[in-house]
This record gives sequence, C-alpha cells and structure tokens, in this order.
Amino acid sequence: MDPASLLKPALYRAEGSATVPDRPALLGGECACGYVFFPMQSYGCEKCGGLDFKERKLSGAGTLLASARVHLHAGKGREAPFTVGAIALDDGPIVRTLIEENEGDPRPGRRMVTTLVAVEDAEGAPRLDLRFTPEAGA
Amino acid sequence: MSVRLNELRPVYVVGVGFHRYQFLTDTPYVELGLAAVRAALVDAGLAWPAVESAYVAKALLPMAPGRPMLRHLGATGLPIVHVENASASGSAAFRHAAIEVAAGVSDIALVVGVDKPMPVGRAEALARIGSLADDAIAPFTHFALLADAYASRTGASLEDIALVAVKNHRNGAKNPFAQHQKERTLEDILNGKKIAGAFTSLQCTPVGEGAAAVIVASEEGLRRQGLDLSRAVRVAASAGRSQRVYEDATRYDAMLTEETAAIALEEAQVSPRALDVVELHDAFTVEEVEYVEAMGLCADGEAVPRLKDGEFDIGGRCAVSPSGGLISMGHPIGPTGVGQIGEIVRQLRGEAGPRQQPGARIGLAHMVGVGAVCYVHVLQAL
Repeated sequence: MDPASLLKPALYRAEGSATVPDRPALLGGECACGYVFFPMQSYGCEKCGGLDFKERKLSGAGTLLASARVHLHAGKGREAPFTVGAIALDDGPIVRTLIEENEGDPRPGRRMVTTLVAVEDAEGAPRLDLRFTPEAGA
Repeated sequence: MSVRLNELRPVYVVGVGFHRYQFLTDTPYVELGLAAVRAALVDAGLAWPAVESAYVAKALLPMAPGRPMLRHLGATGLPIVHVENASASGSAAFRHAAIEVAAGVSDIALVVGVDKPMPVGRAEALARIGSLADDAIAPFTHFALLADAYASRTGASLEDIALVAVKNHRNGAKNPFAQHQKERTLEDILNGKKIAGAFTSLQCTPVGEGAAAVIVASEEGLRRQGLDLSRAVRVAASAGRSQRVYEDATRYDAMLTEETAAIALEEAQVSPRALDVVELHDAFTVEEVEYVEAMGLCADGEAVPRLKDGEFDIGGRCAVSPSGGLISMGHPIGPTGVGQIGEIVRQLRGEAGPRQQPGARIGLAHMVGVGAVCYVHVLQAL
C-alpha cells in the first residue's frame, strides 16, 4: 500500500512486522543500549542520551492496560464520545491511542491488535488512520 | 560537594496570605496578587521594604507580570524573578526562594503565585515528534486511564476512588479561600457531569484564578525586623526531580512522586508515617490514592481501605488535602504550590480553624507538573 494513503505515515505502515505480518506495524526505534521506543525520532535516546539507534518495526499486537470512554472533549476534529486505551505492545513500548470498538469497552488484560480505519485529513481527503481493536476470539 | 537545603542556615516560613481561588472574573491579576502579598506581610508583621527578593510563580499569564503588580507596594528596586514550571510553578518558586535565604544571599524573600485562566500552548508539541492521538488525551483522560488501571491492579472500585472527592469537598467547604466550598455526597459526585472514564466533574479540579503568597526568612532577618520565631515554621527539606524512563511509562506521575518524596523525607529525617498533614496534587481523585501509596503513607493497594477507615480525614492519622486540595480548593496553576505551603503553615501553627488537624507538627507539600517535574517540601513546627 502507498504510505501516502495513510494519515500519519511517519508513525505506522499498512504492512506488518515479521512476527505479526497481518497487522499494521508501528514505526519505532531501538537504541544500541537496548531501549525500544515509539515513535521513531532523531534527537537522542531518552534512556542513555546516545544517537546510535535505528528504526524498528514494532508488531501491531499487545495487551490492554486501561481504557476510558471520553464524554467531553474540546479539541477540534474529535467528536466525543470516543474511547482511548493504553496498550503495552508485545515489543515493549506502551502506546495510548483510540480504540475501535466492536463489542463494548474492552477490559484491562484484553489482547489488542492494530487496524486501519477510514478517516479524512485536514483538507477532507480520504486517509487511513491506525487504531487498536480487541483481537477476535481473544 | 553539593549540600542539602537543611545543611545550610535554617529557613522559616513567617507569613502566608491568599486571594480566594475562584472561577474566572474580570478582576485584574494585579488585584489578586496584591491581596495575597498584603495579607502575607500582615501575617508576618513585616513592612514591604523589609522584603529583599521576590519570586513570582505563574504558568498562564503572559511574560513578566511581577513588577506591574509589585510596584504598587512601593518600587523598592528588589530583584524579581518569574518562575514557570507548569502546575509546579509555585512549588519551584518556593524552593528557589528558600535556597536563596538558606544560602545567605537574602534574609527575607517573597514567593507569590498568581494566574488567570488563558489559552497557552505546550512546548512538547513543538518538538515535532508525532503521536498517534495525543490530541484525544486531555489531562482528565490521562488520569481516567490511570484510574482504570489502578482499579484493575488493586481491585478497588471506581466508586471507591470517588471517595477522595467526598473528603476533599468536605475539607474545602471549611476553607474560605477554596473555589468549591460545598460538601458533596458520594451520590452527588457520581451523578455529576460525565467527563472521561469514571470521572465526573466533581472528581476533577476546576479551572480558576487566584493568588497565594508566603514569606520566607532567616532568623537573623527576623531579629533585625524586631520579630522572633514564635509563629515561624521550619523548611525541613526541599526536593525537585524530573521524569526518568520507567518500566510502566504511563505511571510516571506516581514513580516520580515516589522518588522525590523519598529524597525529601530522607533529608528531613522523617518517616512517612510520622506526617500529620499532607497537601498533594489531587487534580483528579485517582492521583490521591496513587500518591499516598507512592509517598509511603500506606502500603501499595491500601489507599482505599485507609481512606474508608478515615485515616486521611482531618482528625485521622494524617490529614490529606485539609485545604480541600486541588479538587475543592482549586488549581489556578501559579498559586497552587504556594497555597499548599500556606495551608501547611496554618496547620503547623495551629491556626487552621475548623480544618485544624489536632497536634499537627510535620507536614508535606507535593506537586507534579507536566513535563514531567515533581517537588516535595517538608515543613516542621518548632
């Protein structure tokens, strides 16, 4: 898939990682000190201060730590209600983002996977954005 | 070799003053700030020219609000510095004023926090590091996620966590400077406007304006002004830290609190169980249960049972947020950390009126600020 069809191509890809090939991967980084982080950046490692790191595709799978249904939100471009979650990726980092619900609010401990959903960018053009959703049958 | 604050000459808080924390009004910030400073001078028994240095804490007001306010006390030419450190602005200002007096650079210094709600950006957004959906996670949603995780980790119910708001509104109802001064039942709180996750509006700090001021002094400075230490409270420890890399990155507020509080308590040679009063950053109910555990006031996972036992009530083992805390007294940002010191000083002097924790001798003030930074001060009655 052309990364240009993604809302935030610097953060994820439609293609999966070697371990979880069928779910969109997140674009993180891994430092020579062993620290794995998300998203990728080039300023320096938060753990050791070093600059010796490289991009690493993080698998689109993890475990839900917490979720919250948001009833009130002032920011533009987001209409409440929506649900956010904190997900501990199998590859290490914890990410917080929107949860795509298909069966009510998932509970902590639930296995979660990435998915791409249709959204519009600031100019109204169709794009795909990353969400997490409960893993089917988990 | 570096030294700790309490290895330098003793520093005392000798005056406190407030302007009530309140919802946004047309009152100029100058009027808010001057009310607090004049009250602190009267409380200390000091005239303005005795103040040698001023620290002005603010996070929302535009650049350099200090002199346009303080000149109305008489432009003595004293040095004025502004301190911005997000929610911890007032705590940071207090720490640096105490350090200046302890070091002997000044004998008497003012700390005043003043703010009014206005839109302000966050520098982190300028780093150009993308995020999946940080714009969807307002502070109340950040803490709603932590509340869900706390409940799942400890088995506490979300209704249990709301008991923090019942206690803090009860305390704030007795505080003439609090933004919310009304007792609320658990039912009132749970039936309020839904915000995010388990939070309703009365479990979240209100947005508001206000001012708080304290005066710190050395014994030498007081004597020169013809005053003694009879109403002075000693600054027994000061610690400031910033966030490191933690295993559970989402719990940085509690991790940072744990390490900062441990440093301050060690400096003061005080066990957490010896604390009589604590003012902490309870902007959202879950923060209080997280932080009392992180500070060691009770064991991990024990905050809700201890709260239900009344241990953190005024009159309990340790009064937590006797002022009403951020939830009830309010959180005008610049003033908040200064106001915590003011409340603890009143408690340790035995001057807290209907909010008085009986026999209070040792108090702790704690703030976190986005970034993230954390400050803990320990105060002791003489």
